[in-house]
Amino acid sequence: MIKNKNNVISIAIVLLFGCVLFFIGTDGFTAYTAETARVNKLIEDKPKFPDVTLEDSSGRKYPISELEDKYVLITFMYTSCTTVCLQLEHNMGQVYDLLPSKYRGKEIVFLSISFDPERDTPARLNSYKDYFNSDGETWRMARISNQSELDSLLKKFGVIVIPDGNGNFAHNSAFYLVDKKGKLEDVLDYTKVDEAASKIVNILDEEVGE
Amino acid sequence: MNRLVYGLLLLISLILPPVANLMESVMIIHMHMQMPMLVIIGMIMARFFQERYPRFFEKWNENGFPGIVLFIIIVSYWMMPRTMDEALTSQSVEIFKFISLPFLAGIPLMDSWKKLSSIGKNSVIIFFTVAFIGIGYLYINAPNPLCNNYLVIDQIILGWGFLITAIGLIIYLLYDFFIDPSAYEEVAEEE
Repeated sequence: MIKNKNNVISIAIVLLFGCVLFFIGTDGFTAYTAETARVNKLIEDKPKFPDVTLEDSSGRKYPISELEDKYVLITFMYTSCTTVCLQLEHNMGQVYDLLPSKYRGKEIVFLSISFDPERDTPARLNSYKDYFNSDGETWRMARISNQSELDSLLKKFGVIVIPDGNGNFAHNSAFYLVDKKGKLEDVLDYTKVDEAASKIVNILDEEVGE
Repeated sequence: MNRLVYGLLLLISLILPPVANLMESVMIIHMHMQMPMLVIIGMIMARFFQERYPRFFEKWNENGFPGIVLFIIIVSYWMMPRTMDEALTSQSVEIFKFISLPFLAGIPLMDSWKKLSSIGKNSVIIFFTVAFIGIGYLYINAPNPLCNNYLVIDQIILGWGFLITAIGLIIYLLYDFFIDPSAYEEVAEEE
């Protein structure tokens, strides 16, 4: 009988340990993949967009601060991508279409940033933007030519890019919404277009209503 | 004593940065080779601890149940996509991997396995079969990378690794269910 009691105690200890382990390991049962954990942490930290120089599809060069006082919806992509980027940009286009036109360009700018500056020249970005009916103005596509600036941005926004050795990259994807002061406001699931659009509209409505 | 030394030597050789980096560079080797090897190291060392602290195991793991639950918890923890990623990016998680798998999974498994009834053993195997099929399916069909440090193709390979392991377990279970080894032994004796 006493031995049985010990067994019960040790099972209780083991189960308790298991609960604590899983609780800590998943941030309180909220994040089972590192990607969820990353997004949760980003939304909590709200990192500031670092000072980078963009070169867009028209060949214009300007610092990111030019887009201040507007919300910016950002994706990270490269034009040689044959898989997820197409979906990502296509969905970005859908969000663009779902927003009321009065907001586009005035309150919010769409920005697709290439992390493959070597191949994604302004000319290439220019033809790529046409696939998605991006006007190059309210929805811009740009590269960051300075590698160290690019790296600091990717690091700050937790974008992990792994070259696969064949000229392609594996990377995580999301919509990044940056507020008027250049701080990351939210990270949105790029597969849920309607949800992303309605969230953005809500934020802009509130902003304009003020 | 020997077993402890051998186990620790093996453990240290797996921890050596070049070895660890190599094994962790491929997803399926990370999960299906490095992690099981760490558990096996624990199993090798188990006898030393059993002889050294017989009363501890006798007292706290009398029917083998607490030990096997601990084993399942630790192994399940390391099957989460997130823990694999974090073992690569966070030093403390990596250290926890090298400690938890031998000492909290390997040793309890070795101590508990002999104490379990055959129903108990088969329940554990059935649990892992179902878990492997579920996780294998998840890894093969997940549209996005579940791990940020590995390519999607690595993930699909790992998924198939899980499914094939599950098939192996199913074959074992069928064998165990339909074939009675003692029937063959008796025939051998009569001859």
